[in-house]
Amino acid sequence: MSMKPANPVKKRDFFFTDWSVMSLRNRIAFYYTIATAFLIALMFTSIYFMVESVVYRQFDDEIRHQISAILSESHISAHDFKGFDNIKEIDNENNDNDSDNDNDIGSRKKKKVNVDTDFVQLVNKNGEIVNKSTNLSWCSLAFNPNESGATFFNSHFEGSMVRQAQIPLINNQGITEGYLIFAVPVKNAIIVLNDLRAIFLFSFPVIILTLFVLTRLIAGKSIRPIEKVIATAEKMSQTNLDQRIPLPYHHDELYRLSATMNALLDRIEDAFKREKDFTANASHELKTPLSIVKGTLEVLVRKPREREHYESRIEFCLKELNRMARLIDQLLMLARHESNKINPRIEMIALYPHLESVIERMRLSASAKGIAITVDLTENDRIAADVGMLDMIFENILSNAIKYSPSGSSIAIVAERSANTLVCRISDQGIGIPEEKLVAIFERFYRVDESRNSGTGGFGLGLSIVKKLADLQQIKVSVSSKENIGTTFTLIFPDGATKTS
Amino acid sequence: MRLLIIEDEPGIAGFLKDGLEEEYFAVDIAYDGKTGLDMALINEYDLIIVDWMIPALSGIEVCRQIRKSGNLVPILFLTAKDTLEDVVFGLDAGANDYIKKPFEFEELLARIRVQLRTKNKADDSLCAGSLCINPATHQVFSGSQEITLTPKEFALLEYLIRNKDRVCTRSRIIEHVWDIHFDSDTSVIDVYITFLRKKLDAAGAGNLIQTIRGVGYIVREPSVS
Repeated sequence: MSMKPANPVKKRDFFFTDWSVMSLRNRIAFYYTIATAFLIALMFTSIYFMVESVVYRQFDDEIRHQISAILSESHISAHDFKGFDNIKEIDNENNDNDSDNDNDIGSRKKKKVNVDTDFVQLVNKNGEIVNKSTNLSWCSLAFNPNESGATFFNSHFEGSMVRQAQIPLINNQGITEGYLIFAVPVKNAIIVLNDLRAIFLFSFPVIILTLFVLTRLIAGKSIRPIEKVIATAEKMSQTNLDQRIPLPYHHDELYRLSATMNALLDRIEDAFKREKDFTANASHELKTPLSIVKGTLEVLVRKPREREHYESRIEFCLKELNRMARLIDQLLMLARHESNKINPRIEMIALYPHLESVIERMRLSASAKGIAITVDLTENDRIAADVGMLDMIFENILSNAIKYSPSGSSIAIVAERSANTLVCRISDQGIGIPEEKLVAIFERFYRVDESRNSGTGGFGLGLSIVKKLADLQQIKVSVSSKENIGTTFTLIFPDGATKTS
Repeated sequence: MRLLIIEDEPGIAGFLKDGLEEEYFAVDIAYDGKTGLDMALINEYDLIIVDWMIPALSGIEVCRQIRKSGNLVPILFLTAKDTLEDVVFGLDAGANDYIKKPFEFEELLARIRVQLRTKNKADDSLCAGSLCINPATHQVFSGSQEITLTPKEFALLEYLIRNKDRVCTRSRIIEHVWDIHFDSDTSVIDVYITFLRKKLDAAGAGNLIQTIRGVGYIVREPSVS
């Protein structure tokens, strides 16, 4: 299928079109017309030959009938031939008038022979004319010496077509003594057949041309949605991905094609948007601390100042630089995991003591906000995980929970066994995440707070690190949240990898 | 000259305020878009610096709302968004200039001066009679003699000369020369006017600043005679 624009093809003459750029519509019309032309030609030819054979069969029947009439009138027997001697006259009675006229006028020799009548001629076995009907006058009928039996054939006589019969005359010993040649004019039949042929030859190109034009129209109409697809695709560019192909009315293949392409465009647009968001967010996260340090130092060195002023500003800058260093660390870690260069060292560990040590580290920041952390799990629940990675997962989820929870609230960690898996839920009573933003929270640099304020949150990398590390250990991580009620993170440890010792 | 900075990063807002105040500007800070817009609509600022990504109301929206209210105050976008589309989008939203983070502080100052530059003037210098001031260098000359002023005195004189031949009411002077944290005791103006007059007299600039009783002050171009 040629997906090139149809316009250049349209402008050119169809027959000079380069076939590789021939439009689908022309190609459909062309192939269809060729197939139909072949069928119509076949049909016309068979009709013509059928008519022709019917016409000649009728002639031949008539000829046979007349021959037997002549033979009986002339007392000749074709199967018991007594010789040419006793044959006086073999004129066909139908033509008596003509021959009488001719006799009366007595100018037979140079007169043109009337070809609208029947003719009879007798030849001996060597083809020499023995006798002939008077209306033949000075002319003779053609003799075909190669045929020994009764034959019917077309022949020319005096410039017009005649149907001729050649009947052998056989004596009682079975030897061919001569032939009776009979001819009837076929002028009318020829006119009919010629007319038929003319009609066929004229109507064939007309039918084919009409068919081509019609098919092209119909094909054009049926593939119009494709033109729409092309037009839409041409309008589209990287910055303008919001165009969609209008869906055709009928739920056919083109509908499916359009719908599939629209779905594809949705995914591409989404990917572009995520990529764009990522760059914008990364640039914000990296440039903000840089701007702060740069600006603060620039203002600082414009004038000589007190020692205390220098110290406070430099300390402030160091704090910003530390934040930047943390960001770079996290970015590098993500990049390393992204390229899958780190293989997790999976081992069977008891979840409870491990979780205890993480909570112990978070205790300070939690108690600073008066947040209580409760743990409800069986002490001997064991899971397969990489200790370091698991640490980081819990740390990130817990620090998020603490960051976005009001003081005095509590965070609950619950683990329960379900079939072969261990499901661990970490729920807070924090500000929650709006439903439409839930899908994006595992994206790198995604932050629910679009202003990306550094005072209220991190870089937006924590949860994407959690996701990455969880994926590496085949831990399923999901999140559910209700605004102003709280957020729950669910970790599902892999099937069969958990054991109760 | 009084500026409003709408910026949610305390680090950036902090050094901007420090640096700009050293350049004799009165500086107010809003840490989110909503507060910033309210301040911009209530107070009269000579210039507003807006970050794009701020909480409550985006910088773009703040900019649009200010323009919608008919306010033509110069607005500078200060943002980490640095693609061509972003720049065009920002300027189209009604901003006068667009500065990408991280930026040079000196460049920011120069761009602020450009926005404050009186129309149809090739340079930044402001003159009334023989008295000329240069906002870039903070120098004041009476003829060829330089007069040394304190930042506040300079800011007051600059404001009066920028509004030459127009009456500056006491409340407008307070609004443009002092920042929002100054309570509106306008008697402080009289004190600074007295200081200014003394220094100008000493330099032979005469009584450039005239009192409009009960209203405020005015600097008039001395009639050539």
